[in-house]
Amino acid sequence: MNRLVMIGGLVVVAGLAVAVYRAKLGAEETQGRVDGLKGEVAKTEKDIAVMRAEEAYLTRPERIGPLARDRLGLEPASPDQYTASEALKQRLGEERLTLPAPEAVAPAQTPASPAQQ
Amino acid sequence: MSVLDRPYEDVWSPRRARIVAVALALVFVVIVGRSAWVVFNSPVRADSGGAVAEVAVRRADIVDREGQLLVTTLQGWSLAADPSAIWDVREVVDGLKTVFPTINTKQITDLLSDKKRRFVWIRRGVSERERKSVKDLGVEALRFVEEPQRVYPNGSLAGHLLGYTNVDGDGLEGIEKIFDERLKQGGEPLRLTIDASVQFVLEEELQGALAQFDMQGATGMVIDVHTGAVRAIASWPFSDPRKRGVEPAAAKTNRALNVRMELGSIYKPLTVAAALEAGELKATDRFNVSAPVKIGSTTVRDPHPLPNASSVTASDIIIHSSNIGSSLIAQRIGPEKLKAFLGNVGLLGGMTIKGPQTASPLTPSEWDQTAMATVAFGHGISVSPLSFAMTYTPFATGGELVTPVFLEPIDPATIQHKRVMSKETADLVLAMLRRTVVEGSGKLAEAPGYEVAGKTGTAEKPTPDGYDPNRNITSFAAIFPASRPQFVVLVVLDEAQPRTGVVRTASVTAAMIAGKVIARAAPLLDVHPVTSTVEAASLRTTEGTP
Repeated sequence: MNRLVMIGGLVVVAGLAVAVYRAKLGAEETQGRVDGLKGEVAKTEKDIAVMRAEEAYLTRPERIGPLARDRLGLEPASPDQYTASEALKQRLGEERLTLPAPEAVAPAQTPASPAQQ
Repeated sequence: MSVLDRPYEDVWSPRRARIVAVALALVFVVIVGRSAWVVFNSPVRADSGGAVAEVAVRRADIVDREGQLLVTTLQGWSLAADPSAIWDVREVVDGLKTVFPTINTKQITDLLSDKKRRFVWIRRGVSERERKSVKDLGVEALRFVEEPQRVYPNGSLAGHLLGYTNVDGDGLEGIEKIFDERLKQGGEPLRLTIDASVQFVLEEELQGALAQFDMQGATGMVIDVHTGAVRAIASWPFSDPRKRGVEPAAAKTNRALNVRMELGSIYKPLTVAAALEAGELKATDRFNVSAPVKIGSTTVRDPHPLPNASSVTASDIIIHSSNIGSSLIAQRIGPEKLKAFLGNVGLLGGMTIKGPQTASPLTPSEWDQTAMATVAFGHGISVSPLSFAMTYTPFATGGELVTPVFLEPIDPATIQHKRVMSKETADLVLAMLRRTVVEGSGKLAEAPGYEVAGKTGTAEKPTPDGYDPNRNITSFAAIFPASRPQFVVLVVLDEAQPRTGVVRTASVTAAMIAGKVIARAAPLLDVHPVTSTVEAASLRTTEGTP
């Protein structure tokens, strides 16, 4: 009985030692993965920083202004291109008034036939 | 017979068995305890990889008010060498010379000849092209070290304001120096009040002035009158932060902040405001400015006679920029009250700015009648252009002076407002300034739709032998739009000489540049143009002069 207990105890201790060793290995592996991910995050952040710098370089006013003008024909808005929203509504209203209503459109006048003359 | 087949009592005495059992139990307890400790108490490794550590100390970016990147930190390469591993120093130096033509040959030769050293810097911050060229040399003793480098994607844009760092990332000038500790902490970008687009417009117009004027220098700024936010501030010749201060002295000088200038007649509205506030001037009062006047030990003259010079109002004095009239107005209040008023608007120093500091003013040693007469039209007192620009904010805010602000976000509760004149005085002077642009010396500053109000200033430059009539500082201080003021603009040109013609007063130099800046910057600042009807109504309600 005592022998069995002793052997059992040895087996349990050995099993625990293996378990702890495996846990340690697992922890190191996990830590390695965490480090790897952190490295990836760092690299991605570095890439983002580079891309942001490139974006800032490519969108600098010195470059965008001439491109917008030469390629798109855009110019800064001149004061006469602005109008108050009230004035815009009024203008739209006036234009609507001048448009013929669909039902009020007169039928196209056909040339009088010789018979009617 | 094996040990296992023998009776237990023969092999293990009960006492020994107990000792072994206790020992095993202790080992078991230790293992379990240690496991538990590892699980629950093991400290997280602080150093979990070099790359992560680099990110943790990354110097913070600097952005404009809209988040446009102005300065960032990227990982770059620096070139180092191991002198002990170099056999032929001359061959290495010759190779390096082909990649870096400006390299100091003697210095590098001395460094590489010191065989006791294992590490020396050859060049901090090299480009990819240079890195490839060095690699092509095939010298084993040369190696590259990755390290953070400050990058300025917009080149010289706002260079004087931003400043620069040294190769070790310590701020040496400008915002980089002033907010060095904050930037070194990393984290969120430092957001400036500057608007990159408006800054570009201002710089382009200052640079463009060169096409029309031969000049020694120029400066300009655009300031939000309600918050004090500096939307653009520039000094020409521009400074390129990428050169880390290795530039001609003219480019290093920040004329907007660090140079004191006598700015001339743009002081006249302040003189008028001081007199109005003192109750010594009414809008309908008339002055005779037809002949020079002697005040103290100086004789004040007008370079050009005014229309109806024998009977002009304060408004006429501003509109047509009369030195005589301005001195006569100052005479009514006396030197002490004029000094007190100028001190109140921050021209005698003491303005607290959270950001770049301005040069301290140079003021008359004695505020007597002579000093008063000349200060009244902007001579005998030298201040930084930024300090002066702020003095126009009261005319735009109904009498309240604001302090310049360089950092966003701006907490409305922290904006420093200081009442320095009544609303009536501010509105009256503002109307005078508007008339100066509509019918006076500032016509070229008009930007259709943006109701520019402003004043020209032409000041002869002081020399050890007196004032030099051939060298001028020309300036234009503006507020727009006059009917609902939002921004102050100041443009100052140093010795601007038109390339054609001989006239070099501010009315044809600084005024024109200011007008161009306003016309282009106003839409970027969300200032909508106003109709002439609105403006006429506005002028009728604020104009108190006949």
